[in-house]
Amino acid sequence: MESQATEIKKGFDFKFEGKPDYGYITVKIPASETLKVEASAMATMDTNLKMKTKFKGGFSRLFQGESLFINEFTAQNAPAEIGIAPAAPGDVEHVYLDNEAIFLQSSAFVASGMDVKAETKFQGLVKGFFSGENLFLIKCSGQGDLWFNSYGGVIEIDVNDGYVVDTGHIVAFTETLEYKISKVGGYKSLFFSGEGLVCRFSGEGKVWIQTRKVNPLAWWVHPFRRSRKNN
Amino acid sequence: MEIDIQLRPGSSAAKISLATGETLTAEGGSMIAMSNDMSLTTTTYKKNKGGVLKALKRMVSGESFFMNHYEPGPNGGAIYLATALPGDMMTMELNGQGLVVQGGSYVASSHDIEIDFSWQGLKSVFSGEGLFWLNINGTGKVIVNSFGAIYPVEVDGDYIVDTGHIVAFDETLDFKITKAGRSWISSMLGGEGLVCKFNGKGTVWCQSHNESSFGKIVGPKLRARK
Repeated sequence: MESQATEIKKGFDFKFEGKPDYGYITVKIPASETLKVEASAMATMDTNLKMKTKFKGGFSRLFQGESLFINEFTAQNAPAEIGIAPAAPGDVEHVYLDNEAIFLQSSAFVASGMDVKAETKFQGLVKGFFSGENLFLIKCSGQGDLWFNSYGGVIEIDVNDGYVVDTGHIVAFTETLEYKISKVGGYKSLFFSGEGLVCRFSGEGKVWIQTRKVNPLAWWVHPFRRSRKNN
Repeated sequence: MEIDIQLRPGSSAAKISLATGETLTAEGGSMIAMSNDMSLTTTTYKKNKGGVLKALKRMVSGESFFMNHYEPGPNGGAIYLATALPGDMMTMELNGQGLVVQGGSYVASSHDIEIDFSWQGLKSVFSGEGLFWLNINGTGKVIVNSFGAIYPVEVDGDYIVDTGHIVAFDETLDFKITKAGRSWISSMLGGEGLVCKFNGKGTVWCQSHNESSFGKIVGPKLRARK
């Protein structure tokens, strides 16, 4: 990214701790500045932070299986610190958006600056259903900090000549990439490889992938559940 | 073939870089990302070989019936593999010596590695431990995974490892599956079930946690299944 002008704000000071298994974020919000944080992700904060609940993203957020709210934390009179812990144990990542856009998997949004617009985008039925995830992605655009998270570790991959990612392992990708859902290998692989469908990215940009998924963990626990007695 | 295991130990994933002409054989469902022109072939055993019987045996061992073979395009490529549960991964180099790998711990191997099934007798079925092991031979690399961390134990003489904590061990070791306590009743009531008694000289790679023990803690907290 080129830095052309001095007035470009670099974003807030922050630090990551506990990566990659138990990542959490501490952000220093300058006086009278505001940070957008996913509802319920605030763990600790200074007393001069004032919280305002915002209904963001409109009606479509209802379908994302996400909480409907993003809270805004404003530092009053003096700088303030906030500790943010995502719901799932896993990794946290940061990007500074410079009039760019990034797509996030619907549960990946953690926090952002005020000038980052987070809106839900319908992926389209085909992509949505077959991606094994939600029908919606969150498009984050504008200028400022963006923090996101996932269950498991996150690996950043530079895409120059396309990349294949297993559906459900996508955490985020830059808007510069196009993707489509397709199969890997022949039809025998489609049914028997256990890989099923993949997202095929093309173009140049970045994709962030997660090393674990919640669903397989849930399926793994299932056989350990008691079975209900039938009379 | 270069293997780089990242985000160890809890969220580990293996990045395998392949040169043109190299093939990676991997367990079904483990690929999370790969180069665009990586090709995938799914077979019952080895590429260009049949081996339905071997596939059946492998399925019984808790691995999948089909094996996936990845081959990069003209400029080489990379593939990321990961597993379902939290835990570590490790690369083993084989130079002709054999390795025994616990059924669920196998992730991937290079082309010249042979994988076969070994069954540890009826006792293991009754123990509920599902003791199915893979005999791995040849020259090349093998990637294994664990639930929790992996640690090696150098055995010289006798050593006992709980069967649920074994990831892999050198084929040079003799072993006997036996009960932990003096009697079967005390072994079962003591919650230790079966242990593996090793004898000889070699390495056993153990996992810090036993996944079925963890499952038995989590499962009962959930609503009963229908």
